[in-house]
Amino acid sequence: MRAMRWLIWPSAVLHLGFLALLGAAHYTGMKRISGWGPSDVLAPVPEKDIPKVLRNARQLQKRMEALRPKGVYIVIDTAENKLYLKNGEGVVREAVVSCGSGVILEEPGGKNRSWVFDTPRGEFTVKSKITNPYWVKPDWAFIEEGEPVPKKLDDRIEAGTLGDYALGFGDGYFIHGTLYTRLLGRNVTHGCVRVGDEDLKAVFKAVPLGAKIYIY
Amino acid sequence: MKHTPVMTLFLAASIAWAAPLRAQEPEDLLRNQATLASEYGLARAPNFYFVLDVSGKKLELRVRGMVLRSWPLSSMRFWGKPDFQGNVELKTKSALKTPERIVVRPSGGQEQEAPGEKGEGSEFDLEALELKDMPESFRLEFDNGFHVSVRSSTAASGGFFRRLWSSWNWYVGLPVRSFLSRGHNGSGAWLELVFEEKHDAQAIYWHFFEGINGIVR
Repeated sequence: MRAMRWLIWPSAVLHLGFLALLGAAHYTGMKRISGWGPSDVLAPVPEKDIPKVLRNARQLQKRMEALRPKGVYIVIDTAENKLYLKNGEGVVREAVVSCGSGVILEEPGGKNRSWVFDTPRGEFTVKSKITNPYWVKPDWAFIEEGEPVPKKLDDRIEAGTLGDYALGFGDGYFIHGTLYTRLLGRNVTHGCVRVGDEDLKAVFKAVPLGAKIYIY
Repeated sequence: MKHTPVMTLFLAASIAWAAPLRAQEPEDLLRNQATLASEYGLARAPNFYFVLDVSGKKLELRVRGMVLRSWPLSSMRFWGKPDFQGNVELKTKSALKTPERIVVRPSGGQEQEAPGEKGEGSEFDLEALELKDMPESFRLEFDNGFHVSVRSSTAASGGFFRRLWSSWNWYVGLPVRSFLSRGHNGSGAWLELVFEEKHDAQAIYWHFFEGINGIVR
């Protein structure tokens, strides 16, 4: 019986201590939440300063608008594999595309070369517009197939793979056509953006050189 | 003359109605200006940034002042210091099961397979890291000690023990941790964001990279 008491008392004290800590934690937490309000952050504005504040806000708004792309631009969602041709806020055309697979290719034979097949994200511009493009196969295309990397440029050239049009946006990345239309909507590429024939034609015709591309 | 009392009453009501609005207006203006100034600072660079609008219950991915994606919040709850508003930078993104890239070595074949690769409902399996492979529940830690846990509403119904752990963590773990670290600057603010669609939480994991800047308002 005495041993039981020795067990019960410390555990009861511990329990009460824990409850007290929890109570204090909840109390302070609640106090902090109740103190949460935007009015705490900002001091009141004197009446005479209101026109100035309004003017500043308008100027900032104008500056923000000036940052937005002029004319037609492209937005690509790499997660959803969607391309949006936009003009201002409006979507002119929506297309299902294929973006990078995210796979890492490592070169065998201890050469320590590797490639990550991601579609680059960020703000780009259309740097080139090519009709009937041909593909100059990079090293990884041969390594992936387990073939030796050719020394002559002619052995790297492949026609028809990129479709009828290609829009280059730097570092060897293109928005181009595809032979594998059943894979549209999936992440399968080596970093380029593959688009179906009809959509590619429409995008190619609508977008001028220098147009902005946003890939996220 | 018959209308004079009615007109007086109408005028008095208008003044009474307009007075609080006018008193509130300058603060709203200043807040609007402060938000615009913060966003302009981020929008000047070509990088993506996010805006977490707590009162508007939405999370947005933006660039150059344009909204690229907007995810409406299904629900949210908050614990800790409320002074987390302002500009933040994402320091770490963590999940219980982080998606792994597939590594291909042509001679040795495929080395690693991404989790969720053979997910149900997919038409065929691919050697790729796709949206469906992203976690539905994860945590974001910001530079000012602000913690955000993101999950889809479906991720919550994970099973009895998971719900038990989640409740324990929220009602006991977090308040105690918050209480014990109350002296530390910026720490102890926890926000849980719940999204209706499974894909929303996964898309946020996909699009939010470590180092991304944002505004919490």
